[in-house]
Amino acid sequence: MANLKPILLVEDNPNDIELTLAALEAGQLANDIVICRDGAEALDFVYRRGPHEKREAQDPAVVLLDLKLPKVDGLEVLAALKKDPQTRAIPIVMLTSSREETDVVRSYDLGVNAFVVKPVGFDEFFAAIKELGVFWAVLNEPPPHRGGWPSNV
Amino acid sequence: MQPHGFLLTLDAAALVIAQASANAPAGARAGVGLDAVFPALVAVVRRYLDHPSTEDGAHYLRTVTLDVDDVPQTYEVAAHRADGLVVLELEEITGLDVEAGLDAHTPRLRAFVQRLRQAHSVEELCNIVAEDIRHITGFDRVLVYRFDRDWHGTVLAEDGNGVLPSYLDLRFPASDIPVQARELYRRNRLRIIPDATYEPVPIRPTLTPAGKPLDLGQSVLRSVSPVHVEYMRNMGTGASMSVSILVGDALWGLVSCHNRDPHRVPLQARNACDFLTQIFALQLFAQERGAQAEQRLALSSVQSRLLGFMAEEDSFIDGLLKHPHDVLALANAAGAAIVTEERCRLIGETPSEEQVRLLHDWLSAQTDEAEVFSTEALSENLPEAGAFADKASGLLAISVSKKYASYIFWFRPEVVRTVKWGGNPIKPVAEPDRLHPRKSFEIWKEEVKGRALPWTVPEVEAARDLRTSVIGIVLRRAEELAAMSEELQRSNKELEAFSYSVSHDLRAPFRHIVGYSNLLKTREGQHLSEKGRHYVDTIIEAAFSAGTLVDNLLAFSQMGRHTLNRVAGDMNALVEEERRKAMRDIPAERTVRWEIGPLGRAHADPFMLRLVIENLFSNALKYSRDRTESVIEFGRLPPKDGEAVFFVRDNGVGFDMAYVDKLFGVFQRLHRVEDFEGTGIGLANVRRIVERHGGHTWAEGKLGEGATFFFTLPLRGEDI
Repeated sequence: MANLKPILLVEDNPNDIELTLAALEAGQLANDIVICRDGAEALDFVYRRGPHEKREAQDPAVVLLDLKLPKVDGLEVLAALKKDPQTRAIPIVMLTSSREETDVVRSYDLGVNAFVVKPVGFDEFFAAIKELGVFWAVLNEPPPHRGGWPSNV
Repeated sequence: MQPHGFLLTLDAAALVIAQASANAPAGARAGVGLDAVFPALVAVVRRYLDHPSTEDGAHYLRTVTLDVDDVPQTYEVAAHRADGLVVLELEEITGLDVEAGLDAHTPRLRAFVQRLRQAHSVEELCNIVAEDIRHITGFDRVLVYRFDRDWHGTVLAEDGNGVLPSYLDLRFPASDIPVQARELYRRNRLRIIPDATYEPVPIRPTLTPAGKPLDLGQSVLRSVSPVHVEYMRNMGTGASMSVSILVGDALWGLVSCHNRDPHRVPLQARNACDFLTQIFALQLFAQERGAQAEQRLALSSVQSRLLGFMAEEDSFIDGLLKHPHDVLALANAAGAAIVTEERCRLIGETPSEEQVRLLHDWLSAQTDEAEVFSTEALSENLPEAGAFADKASGLLAISVSKKYASYIFWFRPEVVRTVKWGGNPIKPVAEPDRLHPRKSFEIWKEEVKGRALPWTVPEVEAARDLRTSVIGIVLRRAEELAAMSEELQRSNKELEAFSYSVSHDLRAPFRHIVGYSNLLKTREGQHLSEKGRHYVDTIIEAAFSAGTLVDNLLAFSQMGRHTLNRVAGDMNALVEEERRKAMRDIPAERTVRWEIGPLGRAHADPFMLRLVIENLFSNALKYSRDRTESVIEFGRLPPKDGEAVFFVRDNGVGFDMAYVDKLFGVFQRLHRVEDFEGTGIGLANVRRIVERHGGHTWAEGKLGEGATFFFTLPLRGEDI
């Protein structure tokens, strides 16, 4: 399928990247998976800035966002994207280790679409990632795109 | 003026007669110089004026013999100052009395002081004084009469010759001696009426040169109120004398002397009586003070013990409750109660909790609420208290905290006494224009109910001191608590930071171990030996359980920080939801029989309560999984101590009651991991949640025969 929107995985821990990729792989999704290692890079990708300046103008199908990130942390990325009418429609799933209630509450306050605590069990983790990928990348119908990208590129 | 002597008033400088009583010898009248009528008196008066007495009242000057109408007549002369004049009073005495000067009384007085010293009780002292005064004065009957708080008088001692009836132990109503009379008795210590049938003698002229009626307050010949004379006649007495007993500055009682027939007592003898009574009063004062000091000493040792006990405990209330004997001893009470807004703790013989609560509400509603409240007749203050007069007729209360309406009460039971009144104390209605003394002195018995033994001054003081100590302790505790709570807040913050980083950083490695081991197993498994695959399985299991442990720990710590959000809800609905959730993980081939009774409503945080039920159900299912049929019961018992009681029972492996204390501890397990998996935090969570709601948990069980877990939740008015 051409023109499939990419999945943006924002994660700094290489182990988590590898495991998440393995899980997404098992879900046999055709989407590209873009990996950003910190919050600043994730924003650059979404807004096609810096190294991502040249990329195709297309929103990610879903952002899998870790909470604790170097430079700009997950909550800040979430806040920035959900505040901006142009990016508000992008589904964001917090995919994190945190079980802290305050993090969950804060995330929902900021408009997160889902909050997933990575389960310790491997099977549960695989199942969760697979379902997430399938749901957000394949099943979920995003709102119709309104107009072009802002001229900040 | 009474006629048993005559009175002259003199200008102090010129010693010219200003006024004279109508019965004075013929020559003595206003305007005449004293030297003209009684030259013998001039020197006596001069000496009195040159050496004025420091004492109040009429002062005995000397005995003189004057020629009255050429007949020698002996008089006792007394003088005092009034309205700028010298008041001279001359009482006739017979030859026999002349012999009995003050000297004649000296040995008697000496012996009296000796006997007083040896007396051990107030009653003994009173008996001695009654005997001696009767001996000196020769009255038919001498009473020692004590006023109580309500100014009723009781006859404590009596000495008599049988001519007049005995009044010993009788009470006389306060109305017998009106308040003006009492005030007069306080100022003028001795009064005498030698003849109740006397005709009053006028003073001429009626007014002093200053134009006022003469103040006879200090006079020995002063007339008494006609009401009093009538009272004496009704009592059947022809003569009377009374001496005031002043302890400190207060009127303690009277020495009251009566004679059936008219009876004179020479001034000298009267002075002896006054002197004697004063010594008696001093001794009395010393006795009473000594008794109080002794009691104070005894109470203060009780008090310092209690203080120590209170300081040892976290709550002063525990310090008191653990030493009920001392609490009661502090006020010599039969019962006590420590009452706060929430709780009511009883010690010894007390009214019911409900009645104590009534007292508490009544007392805290008082606007002029004092620090210490005491009464010996509670039902007079609060008629409802009559219902428990047998337990609490006497109430001594201290308010420990006004803000939290906390009190300590002491109770004394009713002491039913029979009081013999010398006449009905309910005075007949007086005619509006004139006071009438009562006519009947017949003994009138009354049963006094609803009264306890009065609280003594040292007891009330001990209670007041305890209040001060308690407040001191409470204040110090509050300071300590404030400091501690600051410390706690700090360490709580640290704990939060710690748990946050555990949540983020410690969980991840365990997840990674599990994840990679699984990848190893699934993707590279074919390269591994049987043993290698076993190793990988073990790694997965171990890392998984470590991860679960971290999760459970975090949940446990969150539980403590989670704020309670209590609402009332249907317990059966909640339990049914949890039951279904629990059954989801149960293999289809297992048989579970649920027995869920009517549970009513509960007042709790639903999120937290869910966790309690979830934990208890998962436990019940886990430990009964080897039964052919698991039976799990959830029920509600009748409320206890204002709490709703719930229980979950299973027919599982049970436990040994010897380890019951370990059951609810964090990470405490009673089973091997191979037999029953788990981290041992489930019941710790249950206890923590229930305790945060103000309830408590306990368990009963027997090895091999199942277990029952109980938990309670405080009831709210609407849930009962």
